[in-house]
Amino acid sequence: MAELTFTPVIGIEIHIRLKSDSKIFCSCSTNTDAPANTNICPVCMGLPGSLPHLNHRVVEQGMLAGLALNCGIRPKSLFFRKSYFYPDLPKGHQISQCDLPITTEGYIEVHDAEGNLKKIRVHHLHLEEDVGSLHHSASDGRLEGADTSYVDYNRSGTPLAEIVSEPDVASAAEAVEYVTTLRRRVIYSGASDVELEKGMMRFDANVSMKCSDGRWGHKVEVKNMNSFKALERAIEFEIKRQKKIMLSGGEVIQETRHWNDAKGVTTGSRLKEFYRKFIVEPDLPPLFISQEWIDRMKARMPEMPDVRANRYVNEMNLPREVADFITDDKNLADYFESCVKAGANPVRAAHWVRTEVLRVMNEKQLKIQNFMIKPEVLAGLVTRVEEGKLSTTQGKEVFDYMCSNNCSVDDAVNKLGITEGGVAGSALDEIIKSVLAANPDVLNEIKSGLDKKGKKLKFLQGLVMKESKGQAKPQEVAEAIAQAVK
Amino acid sequence: MELYELNLYHLTEGLKAKKFSPEEVYESCKKRIDSCEENIHAFITRTDEVAKSQLNENNSGTLAGVPTVLKDNLCTKGIRTTAASKILGNWRPPYNASAWNYLRDAGAILMGKVNMDEFAMGNTCGNSAFGATRNPNDLSRVPGGSSGGSAAAVSAGYVPFALGSDTGGSIRQPAAYCGVYGLKPTYGMVSRYGLISYGSSLDQIGPFARTVRDLQLVMSVIAHYDPMDSSCFREKNYDFTHHENVSIKGKKFALVKEFQDFSLDPGIERAMKKTQEILQEEGAELVEVSLPVVSKYAVACYYALAMSEAHTNLERYDGVRLGYTVKDAAGIKEMFERVRSYGFGSEVKSRIIAGTCLTEPQRCEQYYVAATKVRTLIAQEFAKAFTQTDFILQPASPEMPPLIGSQDDDAMKGYQADLYTLPVNLAGLPGLSFFTGYYGDLPVGLQLIGPRWSDPAILEAGLVIERHTGTPEIANEGVK
Amino acid sequence: MKLTSEQVNDIALESRLLLTEQELAGATRYINNFLEILDSFKELDLTDVEPFSFAEVLECPLREDKVAAFPDAEAILHESEHVDGSYFKVPRIMEE
Repeated sequence: MAELTFTPVIGIEIHIRLKSDSKIFCSCSTNTDAPANTNICPVCMGLPGSLPHLNHRVVEQGMLAGLALNCGIRPKSLFFRKSYFYPDLPKGHQISQCDLPITTEGYIEVHDAEGNLKKIRVHHLHLEEDVGSLHHSASDGRLEGADTSYVDYNRSGTPLAEIVSEPDVASAAEAVEYVTTLRRRVIYSGASDVELEKGMMRFDANVSMKCSDGRWGHKVEVKNMNSFKALERAIEFEIKRQKKIMLSGGEVIQETRHWNDAKGVTTGSRLKEFYRKFIVEPDLPPLFISQEWIDRMKARMPEMPDVRANRYVNEMNLPREVADFITDDKNLADYFESCVKAGANPVRAAHWVRTEVLRVMNEKQLKIQNFMIKPEVLAGLVTRVEEGKLSTTQGKEVFDYMCSNNCSVDDAVNKLGITEGGVAGSALDEIIKSVLAANPDVLNEIKSGLDKKGKKLKFLQGLVMKESKGQAKPQEVAEAIAQAVK
Repeated sequence: MELYELNLYHLTEGLKAKKFSPEEVYESCKKRIDSCEENIHAFITRTDEVAKSQLNENNSGTLAGVPTVLKDNLCTKGIRTTAASKILGNWRPPYNASAWNYLRDAGAILMGKVNMDEFAMGNTCGNSAFGATRNPNDLSRVPGGSSGGSAAAVSAGYVPFALGSDTGGSIRQPAAYCGVYGLKPTYGMVSRYGLISYGSSLDQIGPFARTVRDLQLVMSVIAHYDPMDSSCFREKNYDFTHHENVSIKGKKFALVKEFQDFSLDPGIERAMKKTQEILQEEGAELVEVSLPVVSKYAVACYYALAMSEAHTNLERYDGVRLGYTVKDAAGIKEMFERVRSYGFGSEVKSRIIAGTCLTEPQRCEQYYVAATKVRTLIAQEFAKAFTQTDFILQPASPEMPPLIGSQDDDAMKGYQADLYTLPVNLAGLPGLSFFTGYYGDLPVGLQLIGPRWSDPAILEAGLVIERHTGTPEIANEGVK
Repeated sequence: MKLTSEQVNDIALESRLLLTEQELAGATRYINNFLEILDSFKELDLTDVEPFSFAEVLECPLREDKVAAFPDAEAILHESEHVDGSYFKVPRIMEE
């Protein structure tokens, strides 16, 4: 009997926090780091009598995010009420476009196991409001075992895009590439910063298994993944779990399971979930979007990261790996491009950005947007090094000095006492003269032919280099000393 | 004549001319309330202190110094707002309903928050956690509902005008029962922000008063675009100022063909005849329109939608953030269950369950979605009718105010009585409940319906009829 | 098809309502009467009818993305009996 093979069939739901100053249905700030329950009002607290009023920018962010996923924008979308009781949900229902979303039918390209490109279809992206945040009293901060929970409604009503894929994902690796690429594209569109550490991207996965003997397991919804790693691990765990059940002839039951990141397992949910058809949100008329508005949003869409990386490879001769690296972060790529635009050699500029700039960013915990050396300034430095006015070592010294002292290239050069173009000619001769005068013994040794291995000569060269503060070219120094000792 | 007896318009004129002071008006109304309230029980919360502090504000707006009351489903900042439900406990909203803000800015003085059926679910004003209100014309009878407290307060002379809300007749039916005028404006004309929702797509705030001109005055203040209510219409030109030389000559008034077979109380039958004579005398043309879908399906359609929306509007009452709560529950589910089971009255519970039932996946298409489609047919039917007529004349209720406690156990039968009012909400139309005179000791009111945004025209037609019927007397049965 | 009182009770629980026997009997009667009336929709041909959403074509008004803090967040907290510090404190969420 042939060995049974299993094909995972995975769909992914992603919640991304959209970027806006105020909440989706009220004018409260979206700053969730504020002290608990300070950014609240009658609307996001669901107080009796309050009504939602939709934020224009959130609609545009939804459109941009949709376009970034190659989705089409619908001329008419509608809000619904999705009901369930939970203490973080003030109205007892969530206002969501679930049934008639703003954008539909897109795709994201990923690489399959053979390395070929495949499309993961995006069913739709819709707008909705987030719920409040819960903090649990249990010692490990988890829901299980917590006797009391604390609710902060600052997050309630912050804008979300929910992105639902078709079940086209076949592995945890594909899932990770899908969400990584998707995240990068959404950031590029400007719809969201998707700061992962701030929980701005959360994942649910629908996992089922198709067996080569024709059996098809039930769909299991896995919830509560908050990082790429958690998504990957949860899917891997679930694939293994379901495979094991099916191999032993058992049946996978259709259920919602929760990912426990600490234990690395999914557990069946004891919370009964009610699936209710949604009623139309009677307090919000339909959202109509004109073709003109869509065109305006399309015009605002920046070049997507993959297109940008290709351009770097084809037009700037960057190695693929470097191009991918730089375009991974839009702001870094923007910085790089400004640098090139200001005249820097692209390959050299890329190298500087990747090494020196990134090193200082990491050391000082800086975002590239706030980096102390503006890209135009860096371009000047890169060019001076390229033209040989500064040695690479000097360039790096100047760079570090500028980072610490926030000054111009010229200031740094002066303060460091560097002579541009290096120490050569009569200046070099002066140094050599004084070095020889200070070391008559050594000079005699060389002259008498005892320095057969050239060690003493090297010693003198080192002294000269030191005296010139590294600004002399070693080759020239060697030649000049050889001449002087003859 | 006592100051409390003055109609709104005369009161504002007198106040402007300084014939009397706001303090005197307040004292007169307060005295009137003190003498009747024990019998009528219109108030849930009296706000004498608020009124007094408002009197010191020196407002010179349209309604400066005019006492008023609000139905207790309109949020008032810092003042208990209950929707006549136990579940709201002693909730003091941190904000004002927009309609109240407009009145307040215009100088109206708040005398209190008045009774209603719990969450506006009912048509007697007896379904309140604070006890029943009595009809000031006959204390043994209901004032109608759900805005019974507002109608009773105006009828008994507590205040010259009041605000209520109308989801399926909750302004028009109690206005008719109490013998005052009441307008349910076009959906989208008055902001619902701060109105505690029942059926959001049906709810509309409107005024009660003792003359049509008074309604015009109030509407000129509250018909106001409000960005806080997304269903509120922008930039409509409402003109509620015409009251002289208005005429209905050549206008068409229709009776609904299908309603002719339904039986009416003799007093209402007589009022219908009398009103038709007035209309003809004024040179209007009487026609007939046919509303077959409305007459047969509107009641079912209305309740399906009202309950579907209501149950989601009531999901927010869980005891966490406001209102009645329990502190010793072992778990969140127990807390929610105990709060909601104790906090809601049984009529409300029935409607929540019905609404939940209709929107469950297996029934949603058959009931909720079907009802939204029937609603489209109803709106279309009205739209067509208004190509054939300017107004529709019909009762506000098929019966005179019933005796308190005489309500049928079969709730659906009670709902059938709403057939004359609720289609208007389904189509988002304006409806005026107007006084026609008395039948025995009881006032009789009827209803005029017009196309959307015809509120000013309906009120002008009301002015013409009022010239024949005279204004209602202040009901005196409540006096101790 | 009529609903049994068990079914009605399940729906009640879903709505977080515990009914007394009397309330359950009343609600069951109420809902069954109601559904019977709603069954009359079957007489209508609704296949090509659009669901109603608003009384006339109305575009969702859009608000400018501007922060305007609610002046009285404190008053909102003040209305709850479950406030502990600056949080709302609720009992056990996960059932045993």
